[in-house]
Amino acid sequence: MMQWLVFLLFSGLAVLSALGVVLLSSPIYVILCLLSVLVSVAGLFFVAGAELVGALQLLIYAVAVTVFYIFVLTAVPWEKTLKKDSHYRVEGLLSFPLLLALYVEMALVFLLGISVSPKGQFREFIKSFGNTEVVGGILFSKYFLAFELVSLVLLVGMIGAVIIGRKEVQTYEDGSP
Amino acid sequence: MEGLLAWLIITLVKILVILGIVLGIGAYLTLVERKVAAHIQRRPGPMVVGWHGLLQPLADGLKLLTKEDLYPRYGNPFLYNLALVMALVPATLVFAVVPFGPEFEVLGIKVKPILTDVNIGLLLVFALGSMAVFAIALAGWASNSKYALIGSMRKAGIVVSYEVVITFAVMGPIILAGTLSTYDIVQKQIEQKLWYLWLQPMAFVVYMFAMLAETGRVPFDVQEAEAELVTGFTVEYGGMKFGLFPLVEWYIEVLSLSAIAVVLFLGGWSPINIPFLGFIDPLFFLGPLSPFVWFILKVSLLFLFVLWLHWTLPRYRIDQITTTAWKVMLPLTFVNLVLTAVIAPLIWR
Repeated sequence: MMQWLVFLLFSGLAVLSALGVVLLSSPIYVILCLLSVLVSVAGLFFVAGAELVGALQLLIYAVAVTVFYIFVLTAVPWEKTLKKDSHYRVEGLLSFPLLLALYVEMALVFLLGISVSPKGQFREFIKSFGNTEVVGGILFSKYFLAFELVSLVLLVGMIGAVIIGRKEVQTYEDGSP
Repeated sequence: MEGLLAWLIITLVKILVILGIVLGIGAYLTLVERKVAAHIQRRPGPMVVGWHGLLQPLADGLKLLTKEDLYPRYGNPFLYNLALVMALVPATLVFAVVPFGPEFEVLGIKVKPILTDVNIGLLLVFALGSMAVFAIALAGWASNSKYALIGSMRKAGIVVSYEVVITFAVMGPIILAGTLSTYDIVQKQIEQKLWYLWLQPMAFVVYMFAMLAETGRVPFDVQEAEAELVTGFTVEYGGMKFGLFPLVEWYIEVLSLSAIAVVLFLGGWSPINIPFLGFIDPLFFLGPLSPFVWFILKVSLLFLFVLWLHWTLPRYRIDQITTTAWKVMLPLTFVNLVLTAVIAPLIWR
């Protein structure tokens, strides 16, 4: 009963703030709405008993990722945030079919996932081992290859970022600074 | 039903006690800071209000509360006020996972002096601790002032770099304890008869650096550098709203991070430790109160250490701060992490 109430609270908040992310015009309110979405999703994880995932959601998405939007924010002067129209109408229109396909795929994966997901099999594990151990055990046994591949992708991304962000030793060919 | 009721009452009492301690002590720490600063500089400090200025925080509070409530004309009043809430709430929430002492029994009910003993307590500490950056960025942006914006950006840069460092620094104790719950980490240290400070001196030093940086204490207080930026992101705030930011940053956050340092490295509520041999308790005559006294003693010792640094050292430049974070601190924590991960299982498993 209590669980359902909290769940409804967090999910309602998440949906409302997600609408805010899409509909609001001022970038700072959009960032705040995004933060609200991420925090309420973390709340949903806590309600579901997945404390580790909830805490990581807070630590990684709500803090580490959103902080970088804050950096972007300071590049936006105060007057610009009052602007209503977007510059990317044509691009938005062009990318719409792709977006639709992605959403259909996500819905499909979600529905397929429900039918094959283990129902209550992990509950005993989590009770006897604790959240962190179970997640670690699954990550490093069943999904080990996927996990390592993802970390490789991240490494590649990091190297790319370092290369883009490094200082140019020589900007012009004649050596003038 | 009765169990639920008892649980509710206990939780409410815990919340009230923690809030009372945090906010009350937070206010009185301003006096401690002014006195310590004064004696470091060979001045008497506040002496007029009450005996040796003991009532000074109340006078300051009254003064701040009765100021006119101003806000910048072209600022954003909603965000301007929201920043205050976003600063205070996460900082106080951190205390939900700080264990103040061992489990004790009152009227046949076992009480753990920790609000929620979640099994990922430490992750919550760092998630909530770095939420402060949003409040600061919002405060800087909503004030619509150059100084405030520059100050908040400096702070955001520092927090981003040191958040990574502090998270890696605490990995060592986590590996040694094998758990993320703050209560269990202290229990493990008592069981292993070892403060993790003895095995993780490097992690402790890095943690202290990162703690100073995250709370904006000297030598990392570039975000409010009075000489260049007036007071950074709090320039446009007045009255108690101005008072709230230093209260949160300098006192509540320093207190919470010191408490976490005590939990991680100094064995929480355990008495003085001789590595691998046991504990010596010179305060044994206090009986069941002694663990709480030890915890408070250690936290205040760390707090005084921070004050001592604050009133002794000059300030770094922002580029020096971030360079130290990425090029010195982070590699150090990596080395520490690898060494711990290799050696710890050899000893304990």
